[in-house]
This record gives sequence, C-alpha cells and structure tokens, in this order.
Amino acid sequence: MTVQTERPPSGPAEVLKADGGGSGGPRKQARARAGTLAPYLLLLPAVAATVLLLGWPLLKDGLLSFQNLNMGQLIQHVTEWNGFDNYQEVLTSSDFWRVTGRSIVFTLVNAVLIMVIGTLVGLLLARLGKRMRVLLLVGLVLAWAMPVVAATTVYQWLFAERFGVVNWVLDKLGWHSMADYSWTGSQMSTFFVVTVLIVWMSIPFVAINLYAATTTIPKELYEAASLDGAGPWKSFLSVTLPYLRPFLYATTFLEIIWVFKAFVQVFTINGGGPDRLTEILPVYAYIEGVGNQHFGMGAAIAVLTILILLVLTAYYLRIVLKQEEDEL
Amino acid sequence: MKRRLIAAIGVAGMLVSIAACGSGDDGGKDKKAGADGYKGQTLTVWAMDGSTPDTWQKDVTAAFEKKTGAKLKIEIQQWNGIQQKLTTALSEENPPDVFEVGNTQTPAYAKTGGLADLSDLKSSVGADWAESMNKSAVSDGKQYAAPWFVVNRVVIYNKKIWADAGIKDTPKTRDEFYKDLEAIGKKTDAEPIYLPGQNWYHFVGLTIGEGAELVKKDGDKYVSNLGDPKVAAAMETYKKFQALSKAPKDKDEATPQQAEVFAKGKTGSFIGMGWESALAIKANPKIEKEIGYFTVPGVTADKPEGVFLGGSNLAVAAGSKKQDLAKEFLKLALSDKFEGQLAKEGGVIPNKEALQSNLKGNAAAEAAAPAAAGGGTTPLIPEWAPVENAPNPIKTYMTAVLKGKSPAAAAKQVEAEFNKRLSQKQ
Amino acid sequence: MKRSASSTFRRAWPNVTAVILFIGFVFPVYWMFATALKPTGDIISENPVWFPTDITFEHFRTAFGADNFWTLVRNSVTVTVLAVVFSLVIGLAAAFALARMRFRGRRGFIIGFMLAQMAPWEVMVIAIYMIVRDASMLNSLVPLTLFYMVMILPFTLLTLRGFVAAVPRELEESAMVDGCTRMQAFRRVILPLLAPGLMSTSMFGFITAWNEFPMVLVLNKSPEAQTLPLWLSSFQTAFGDDWGATMAASSLFAIPILILFVFLQRRAVSGLTDGAVKG
Repeated sequence: MTVQTERPPSGPAEVLKADGGGSGGPRKQARARAGTLAPYLLLLPAVAATVLLLGWPLLKDGLLSFQNLNMGQLIQHVTEWNGFDNYQEVLTSSDFWRVTGRSIVFTLVNAVLIMVIGTLVGLLLARLGKRMRVLLLVGLVLAWAMPVVAATTVYQWLFAERFGVVNWVLDKLGWHSMADYSWTGSQMSTFFVVTVLIVWMSIPFVAINLYAATTTIPKELYEAASLDGAGPWKSFLSVTLPYLRPFLYATTFLEIIWVFKAFVQVFTINGGGPDRLTEILPVYAYIEGVGNQHFGMGAAIAVLTILILLVLTAYYLRIVLKQEEDEL
Repeated sequence: MKRRLIAAIGVAGMLVSIAACGSGDDGGKDKKAGADGYKGQTLTVWAMDGSTPDTWQKDVTAAFEKKTGAKLKIEIQQWNGIQQKLTTALSEENPPDVFEVGNTQTPAYAKTGGLADLSDLKSSVGADWAESMNKSAVSDGKQYAAPWFVVNRVVIYNKKIWADAGIKDTPKTRDEFYKDLEAIGKKTDAEPIYLPGQNWYHFVGLTIGEGAELVKKDGDKYVSNLGDPKVAAAMETYKKFQALSKAPKDKDEATPQQAEVFAKGKTGSFIGMGWESALAIKANPKIEKEIGYFTVPGVTADKPEGVFLGGSNLAVAAGSKKQDLAKEFLKLALSDKFEGQLAKEGGVIPNKEALQSNLKGNAAAEAAAPAAAGGGTTPLIPEWAPVENAPNPIKTYMTAVLKGKSPAAAAKQVEAEFNKRLSQKQ
Repeated sequence: MKRSASSTFRRAWPNVTAVILFIGFVFPVYWMFATALKPTGDIISENPVWFPTDITFEHFRTAFGADNFWTLVRNSVTVTVLAVVFSLVIGLAAAFALARMRFRGRRGFIIGFMLAQMAPWEVMVIAIYMIVRDASMLNSLVPLTLFYMVMILPFTLLTLRGFVAAVPRELEESAMVDGCTRMQAFRRVILPLLAPGLMSTSMFGFITAWNEFPMVLVLNKSPEAQTLPLWLSSFQTAFGDDWGATMAASSLFAIPILILFVFLQRRAVSGLTDGAVKG
C-alpha cells in the first residue's frame, strides 16, 4: 500500500496534483457528460443539511438582528421590528470596537504561536528516531484528545490561586510573589492562561499533520537539492517549505477560525472577566445577547462577528478561489 | 369629565368581569375538588438550590399527590444563569407550571407577561401575607406572584475557633466584631472570616445600613448612585473586613461555596444564610457541633447591621396549561402547615407574621430576626433585573475598590455599564 | 574534544526537546487523573504530591453519584456517534463528487463549505433555540444530533476530499476495467483505502460533538435530555473547590475520547510510519 494514511487537509493542492498527474482529458470529459447529474446527487444531502440547519439559523439570526427582542418579546412571541437600531447601537459603542480589536489581536497572537511552535514540533517529529517519535506522538495525541470542557477545568486547577501547581512551581523557582497569585485577577494574566490552554490544545493537530505531510515529500527532491550543494537550511527553504505551503495555508486558515471562535475556553476560564476585559467577540455576543437578555442586540453582534471573521480569512479564501479557477 | 366617567365605568366593569372570572374558576375547581380530577397530570415546580429542605419536598409532594391525585415533580435549579433559563422556559409550550423567582427579579418578570395573574389567590388565601413581603409580587396593582419567604444573612461562626482565641461572648457592635476577628487572626492559625470580594448581597445590606440608595432618578430614568458617599462608606466597611480574609477578591460567595470552605474547620466565620450551615454539615458532619450564629452587628449595640432581605416568590407561568392545578399547589405550599414547616426547617422568615413562632429554637433564624426589621432590598423596579446579569457591575465595583481603587473612581468606572443596564430596552 | 561535545549535543537535543515537550503535553492530563485519585488531604497540601501513593476512588464515587449520570452518558454517546456517522456518510458522498468529478459550480460548493466551516455556532444559539422551539422539538436528541452533524460536516467533507483525491485514480479505473461499476469500484477499492482517513477525520467530529454545550444548555432543559458537558460544568459549580471530585468528573468525561483517540490514532500513526518507510 503506497497510500498515505494521513494526508493533510490541504484539499485544493491535492486536487491540483491528482488532476495534473491523473489520467488523460478526453476520457474524463466523456465520463462527465455521462453523469452530469451524479455530482449534484452526491452533493445533495450535504448541501441540503447545511442549507437547512446552518442557512436557516443564519437567516433567522439576520432577521432577529433587526428586531427589538428582549425578555417580554421572547416570552410572548412578539415580533417588534426596529430597523437598524441594534446595529446603530453596536457600531457606535466604543465597547464593540474595543472587543473587535482585542479579538483580532488575540486571534493573531494565538494563531502565530500555534503555527510556529506546531511547525517546529512537526519538523522535530520528522527528525526523531522511531522510539522518541512514538513517545512524543503519544503525548501530542493525549493533549489533542482532551475535551475542551475537561481541559479548561484542568487548567483552572493547574492555575488555581491556592494549591495550584503552577503557583507552587513559580514560588519554588524563586518568584515568591507568585505564591498565591490570582491568575484570573487581571486581563493579561487571564489571557495568558487562555493562550497557554489554546496553544497546548492546538499544537498537536498542526504538528501531527505537518509531520504526516513531510513524510510525503519525495526523497528525490532532497537529493537533487543536495546535489546542487544546498545545506540543511537551504534545502528546507527550497524543498520543504514550498512543498508544505498549501498545507500551511490551509492549517493557518483553520486555526484562525478556531481561535477566533474560542468561546468555551475564554468563557469558562473567567467568564470574559475581570471587568469584561477578556471578552472576545463570541463571548461579547453571548453576554450582551443571551446573558443580558437583549437577544436582538446579540443577533446583530453575531452578524458583525461573522463579517469580521470573513474579512480575517478573506486572503485565504481568495487563494482557494484562484486555485480552483486555474484548475478548471 | 365625561371621558373620565366612562373610564371609571370601564374600570368598574372590568372589576366585575374579573370577579366573575374568579368565581367561575372556583366553580370549575369545586367540581373537580375531592375527586381525582387531576389524575394522570404532572405538575412541574422549579425551586432554587437551597430553598427547600429535603423533608419539606418529600412531605409537600406526598400531600399534593394525595390531595389532587396528580404527580408533583420538583426540579432544583441553580442560581447561576437562572434568568436566561427562566426566560426561555417561559416562552415555551411546556413551561414549568410553578416556579420560584427571586424577589428582586419579580418586577421584571411581571412586566414580561410571562406570569399568570394570581389576584384571586391573593383574595382567597393571601389576606394575611406580610405587606412588606408582598410588595415585590405586585405590579401595576396586579398580583403576579405569591410571597414565599425572605431570609437575611447572619454571621455563622466556628465556636471552637472563637473559644481558642479567648472570646467569651459574641460581638454586639461592628468594632467589637472587628476586634474579635483580629484576635482570631493573632491567636489562632485560622482565617478569621471568609469574605470573598463579591458577596454583593452583604454589601447591599451594608448600603441599607448606611441609608444609601443604589440607584437614583434622573428625569424619568434610573441611573447609578454608586458615587454617593454613603455607598462609599458601606464599601469601606466591607473592605475593612475583607482585608481579614484570604478569600479571592474577584469571586463571589458561591465560587467556591463559602460553606464548604468553612466546613474544613479552618475558618472562624462567614456571612451567609442560615441554611448554608446545612451545606457545611453535609461536607463535613463533624463541624455540626461547632457551628454558631449571631446577628451581623451594627455600629451600635441597639441597632443591628443593615441586611439584604433576599426572598423568593412563587409564580405560575402564564403559559402553563395547568393553571388550576398550579394554584392547588400554591395553596398547599403556602398553607400554614407547609409554610410553617419551611420556616422551621429552613430557618427562613415565613410570609405571615402568625407563623413566625416556627422560628423559635432555630438558632440561625433567631440570630437573623433582630436585623430583619431594618432590612431592605435592591430597588423593586423592572429595570433592575438586567443589573444582576453577569457580569454584575456592582460586583465589578466591589472588586475594583478592594484592589485599591478609590470608591469614587470605581463608581465612575462602572457607571456607564450600570446605566446601560438600567436603561436597557424592555 | 570540543567537536565531540558539540556533536553529542547535536545528537541529543532533539531527544531532550522531545522529552520536555512530552512532559509539557502530558502533564495536564496526568495531573487530572492524579488529582482525581488522591485523597483530599494530598490535593490541598502545601507541597504538591506528585505521585499519588494513597489511591482512593472516593472522588469517582462522588462523581458517579450525580443524578441521571448514566442517562447523560447514553445521551452523549447517542448524539455524538450518530452525528459523526451521518456526517461521515453524507460528507464522503460530497467529498467524492468534489474530488473526482468536474461539474458546473464546483468551486462555488467548495467555497460554500469553507464558509460553512466558519459559522460561529455559539453566537447563533438564540436563533437556533427559537427555530427548535417553534418546531416543538425542545428536550429532544434529534435536533442536537442534526445540528452537531452540520457543525462537523464542513470539516469532515473538506478533509475527506483530500483523502479521496489522494487515492490514485488508476486503481479505480483498473477496477472499472475489470467490470466493476463505479459504485462497486468505490466500495471495493476506494473505501478500504479511505478507512484510515475516515477514522482520523471522525476524531475531529467526536471531539466537537462530545464537547458542545452552549446549544444543549438552551435547547434541553429537561434533566433527562441533557448531555455530559452540562453535567461537568454544573458539577464544577456545585462542588466549588472540591478539586478531587471535579477532576474525577473531568477524567470520566475525557476517558472515552482519550481511548478513542489512542485507538484511532494508533492505526493512523502506524500508517504514518509505513508511509515514512516507503516514501
């Protein structure tokens, strides 16, 4: 079996490869004509499910964002349209823009940390001997498999003010002011805990998949590079990196989405506190909408959140669009 | 003139028709009463965590099932996130039929149309409900809930630790209280008091003691009054006592449950409701013989500290399809027998003065009683409920002061958020 | 002399780093289990007890003692497994079309699913709640299963597309030359090759569906219709700083997924090493 079991989720590039190296054109066209309907039928269940179960809530959310919907209206099933009031209120509040800026910085910092460390760990996996590699893989898989809800609970315990092991270690290392330090007490320390948690949880995905991807790099490419007199660093730049580029793009895209939506981690660790200083957009939407029972307002923030995420990922989406275009 | 007359006639007409409804309802019930008219039905009741002692639940369930032939399902709810849960539940096809709702949250729910009108219940069984307790249950002249109980906080202390510190008698004034706690800090290795930074009910009590208001009217709107020097004075008192505690400044009394901290036997005292001692005993049965209670001492010995009269009302969901059965439950739960049992076992102040004798011999309730007269609540206005949603700006204010901000600066910091919530569109 | 020291270092550093990383990744998981098994006295001690010597199952008993525990387990398992299986089935069908066929609008579908992957479900809970409420489907596992399925569908589908594309076209074609229909070729040739891909894709689905709680929190208020994440989060509120019980609960919650991952990943990893050897 020469098939790679763990292909990175870098769809587009692989389609390119498969098609490029695949069979000839004419036969393919004939087949396409024969089964014009087939692809649509195959796609139908997925599309129908997505439209019904995602499209509909999205539409509903859009509609709610133009309504004055609070406790009373929700309880009595009353629809009260109020035009752009919610948007006006959100967009003119300095809170919203502060949260947006914070969300973007938070997402970028985490995504960069995850990608850089994850890539390094992945490359390390490729370098290790078999035994050490399995050891590290086991560690990564365990961290990866920890359910978020359990992981946040464990991190609360690790960073607990009293009897938390982190404070104990810092104290023993000579940093005595950390002995009873409250990690949830300030904005930066809360973000620190959340970031450690998210990076810890996310690296395994990047590292394992990246390692899998490096195993698919044909050895001949390295041989050719070394014949050209390239050292390890140069061959990394000229062979490894270009080969992994589509994978890195795709993974960065996923990580940006996942970090941006890291609701559970932020909300469970400190509820967006202290003083609402660690609220990121999804948490802000939840607290204003559901928490404060200002549901129309929450819907408007949700719509804006989606738009901002679109902007953040627009670059990648454009690349994908272009690739698919080239191919067709 | 003419218009006013017509209006008056209109109101009179309405009264007549309401009365007609009431009697009609009663007629319907009479037919069913006694027989098994409700057989096969199940009534769902939401009670809040801590309110109802187990034996009370068991007894009232048995009595209810015997009386009506229907089943009773009491579901215990957590305070955390209850408003969201209740709001959505009330909008559903099958809401909980009867539910407990906090007295400070009742006005907001009354306004939503989610609560059934209980005026007929008031006239049939509520003649002697304590007026002060009934205030939160009435809105625009209509009875939206039945007052159930109120409870105020006391100091729960560990007798052994106090004795170890050489203290003979419980303190009668705030200064004595402080000195005793200091003595515990010096002479024992226990924490004198467990007072987390966000026990805001106690803080509200202190503001009541100072005669301060949390909100004030600005035109026709309510706005924050946290900048008031009287509020600042209350906060200073809180801060002084909090400094004796190792409890986190940014957590409230439920995270972790203060009673469970106390149960470990290394805490001299905490400020909580009488029933919280049951939690401590559950966590550590050995602590039971050490637990004592006293009234939160005020500035002078003759006037105890101001306290927050936390209370609960029982309401019926407007969307419940078992209105009559729900009222049957209310009549039973509010009857002298069960209201009295609740007071006796839970140590809470019952909704009728006549039943207060049940509190005799309940140490916690006896400690609570002297302060109750000088107690108060948060403003009973519909605009209040959003303030209590997390993150509660008053808690933010408290933590800010405890971490070194001046009360005035902290008040300023949370003012915008506080006002935003008070003016939130309904 | 110097050279040999530096070469020792050069040979040793990957292993040393690997060990440090291993400890860093495993420690939180280890600490969860260790705390759950320690008597309370060892948990709240001034100096951490690194290795539990006095093993106790008391915390697990507390955790198991919660009302409805087994109902919640059943609910969680049902919802998670069904959501993952459904999304694998319909995702694979779509992935096959997108990876192997050319048709009008293909690009649109791909972009569509990428967008779907970005959906912030947590902020849409009220819209979802109102839809489910108005359809009288509250307190049921059906909407949960369906929504979880769609939540993981885009990732499943797009990842599977990569796996399908990686199966050499020639294999399929030679099977069809041998007289198989396209369906048969798919079933006999491609599907077995995709098995590891399906497994590793399903891991993401399992972990997502197993964890979800903002939605089930508002949809299912009835205690009989809830799932384990709610239990875990309420456990934390109810038990305050009883870290032993909380960690025991977390362990119980994590164990099924850990086992599943180790099982699935072992295959994937052994596949990986094969790949490395042959590559």
